[in-house]
Amino acid sequence: MGNWYKSGSPWIWLTSGAVSLSLIAVIGLLSLIAWRGLTYFWPATIYHFELTHPDGVIEQVIGEVYEKDTIAAQRLRDNGTFVAAGVEEVGSLLVKTGNREYVELDFRWLLSPSITAKVAHPDLAVFERNKNGNFYGYIDSLNLGSQVVTGDVATIRPQLLVAMERVDQLKAKALTLQNNEISSINYQLEKIRLAQRKLEIENKLTSQAIASFEQQRLTLNEQYLIHEKSLFAIRNEMTRDSVVVRDMRGEKVSLNLSSLLDLHLPNQMSLVEKVLHWLAAMASFVVDDPREANTEGGVFPAIFGTIFMVMLMAVIVTPFGVIAAIYLHEYAKKGVVTKFVRVAVINLAGVPSVVYGVFGLGFFVYILGGSIDELLYPEAAPSPVFGSPGVLWSALTLAILTLPVVIVSTEEGLSRIPMSLRQGSLALGATKSETLWKVIIPMASPAIMTGLILAVARAAGEVAPLMLVGVVKMAPTLPIDGNFPFIHLERKFMHLGFHIYDVGFQSPNVEAARPLVFASSFLLVTVIVGLNMTAIGIRNYLREKYRSLEH
Amino acid sequence: MINIESLQFDEFEHDKPATDLASLSDSESAFIIDDLNLYYGDKKALSNVSMRIPKGQVTAFIGPSGCGKSTLLRCLNRMNDLIDNCCIEGDILLEQNNIFDRSVDVATLRRKVGMVFQRPNPFPKSIYENVVYGLRLQGIKDRRRLDQAVEDSLRGAALWEEVKDRLHDNALGLSGGQQQRLVIARAIAIEPEVLLLDEPTSALDPISTLVVEELISELKKKFTVVIVTHNMQQAARVSDNTAFMYMGELIEYSDTNTLFTTPAKKKTEDYITGRYG
Repeated sequence: MGNWYKSGSPWIWLTSGAVSLSLIAVIGLLSLIAWRGLTYFWPATIYHFELTHPDGVIEQVIGEVYEKDTIAAQRLRDNGTFVAAGVEEVGSLLVKTGNREYVELDFRWLLSPSITAKVAHPDLAVFERNKNGNFYGYIDSLNLGSQVVTGDVATIRPQLLVAMERVDQLKAKALTLQNNEISSINYQLEKIRLAQRKLEIENKLTSQAIASFEQQRLTLNEQYLIHEKSLFAIRNEMTRDSVVVRDMRGEKVSLNLSSLLDLHLPNQMSLVEKVLHWLAAMASFVVDDPREANTEGGVFPAIFGTIFMVMLMAVIVTPFGVIAAIYLHEYAKKGVVTKFVRVAVINLAGVPSVVYGVFGLGFFVYILGGSIDELLYPEAAPSPVFGSPGVLWSALTLAILTLPVVIVSTEEGLSRIPMSLRQGSLALGATKSETLWKVIIPMASPAIMTGLILAVARAAGEVAPLMLVGVVKMAPTLPIDGNFPFIHLERKFMHLGFHIYDVGFQSPNVEAARPLVFASSFLLVTVIVGLNMTAIGIRNYLREKYRSLEH
Repeated sequence: MINIESLQFDEFEHDKPATDLASLSDSESAFIIDDLNLYYGDKKALSNVSMRIPKGQVTAFIGPSGCGKSTLLRCLNRMNDLIDNCCIEGDILLEQNNIFDRSVDVATLRRKVGMVFQRPNPFPKSIYENVVYGLRLQGIKDRRRLDQAVEDSLRGAALWEEVKDRLHDNALGLSGGQQQRLVIARAIAIEPEVLLLDEPTSALDPISTLVVEELISELKKKFTVVIVTHNMQQAARVSDNTAFMYMGELIEYSDTNTLFTTPAKKKTEDYITGRYG
């Protein structure tokens, strides 16, 4: 035992144990999030349950099983639910029943003793809708304007798919019209209003100018009316067809095809079809806009907002931090003041992030943004342009939040460069700044990248300060679009981290939102890992290029 | 321990008669050092050093560790400016101009007085870029001129044959001896008047040392060379004149032959016979 202790093995076991524990923690976290997030998209089997309640009432329920649990019988008896004597525990199932507008809750717990039948009928269909969540039921008939198709699922379904394809095309047409032509006209109208207001403020508004503005407005309005007319026509076309579905109450419900997004019959699907459906569902989660208060649909604006904001932050923080570090390390005299500044910078990293948010709101948004508005956009008053939270202010706030990280690691990189290289450059007649630019900074670039990696990792996960300086639950437009000047830094944006908070804690439907929380978390982790991997790749390339002398 | 008798005097390549260092004229001197004192903070590192370094010859500084020989060498291109608490009194004249004068541009001075350090310190760039570094600083962009300078300098540093096929490889891939010759090539590419060598072979293996020493004899045909060395045989082999320093003072300075065969001072004799060092 003594020898074993002396050999150092316990130490090795202790250290390796610590490593394994951290590895298990990381892998456990990632796999939990990935499993819970990714299984959400899997087309689950739909069951038709027949319930016989203790009082003899028979009820039909259609839905997918979300969770299994056991409940102590005593608790149910206390609640007044009848449970047969001698039973200790009762199994129960959480079932998503969908059909939100016809039932009180689209999630309900079923007690296993009351389930008298459970069938996975192959004809059960799942309709994804743009409102009120999923609809489960049996397809009954199809109404194609003048023509009504009846029969079994096999005869209706192909025609239904054709009709849905037609509606999809119309939808795409309507969307392009809305996003391009109509949105552009609205943007131009707003610009005309601002231009007129500007002239008014400057007292240069002549009757001639007013007439010209009116003329422009008239033309635009005419165009608008034309587009609006065709948009209404398209919408009218879209609502022509509907499908009649028999739901779990046994009633026939007519669903308009314009409200349908997807139809699948999971109980008939083969494994390959399920995998394809799963992949398609994940892809649409990534590329689609959110619907229904973020509880349905995709998260594209949030992904875009997160990445755009982080990149903007990186662009701001890198030069700023590197220049500060160069001054501190290369030019500043090594004295008490420099030491104090350095300690202050390091301590900045310890300030709680929400404090930065408050600072950002007070300084960037109100003071800086307010002054910009006063100077450059007087015509927009009283509605603010830069004087309200936006993506630029968020990026700036996170830039000062991550500045210490960049400064510290750049300084570390600078101090690792051997003195002999500086002397070598100076001895060849280089000035100090030439030495800096040609030798020192290229060699310190891997360290600068390390700082950037840490900054990006911290910024991408930060939510609290953003809630004050620019993140919103639902942003109507992305910070980049087709209207001049294409990049709109004053706009508010969506963020994955905030999206998780919003969906998880502010959602009206907690059960429906939970898988989305996991899916968004997994996506956020993926985005951060992706950003980091890119930066690490660049750093490794630079490291190889400026491999320093090893002696 | 060095046995004086074992030094083969006939291997000295001093064909011309020894220079009389005391009566060297201004035009024959590369450097005129006049009453130089240097302090690192409170510590005096050089005291009352006066000497004339002749043009076109190899001058060696020898002495035990900490005697100030490297410090003196670094004064010649003002490398000591980089040390925060270094304070210098006295003059060093290069072409009748005091190099400590306010009007002197340090970068220009260092262009005239090149330097090679103890450890090879090539930049983490290609061999080619290392050699043209100084030229690019001077704003030379003409590709043909740069190519020519690379070939000339690398030939001058006896490295051309070894690297001519991989000029664009990273310089850090070279061996220590090759790196040191590359650094010499880099220094001579900007055509300085004087080349300062600070223990150029102390980090090298014996064969690389031999190559560099042969190179020094070649270099003196074009440049004034000042070399600091720990190794007395090396001083004896490569230099025309030798200065012996001890505790920050210049003890004895004469032509190498005289210094090693008939030293005038007791301290010098003790040192070169290995009583201390």
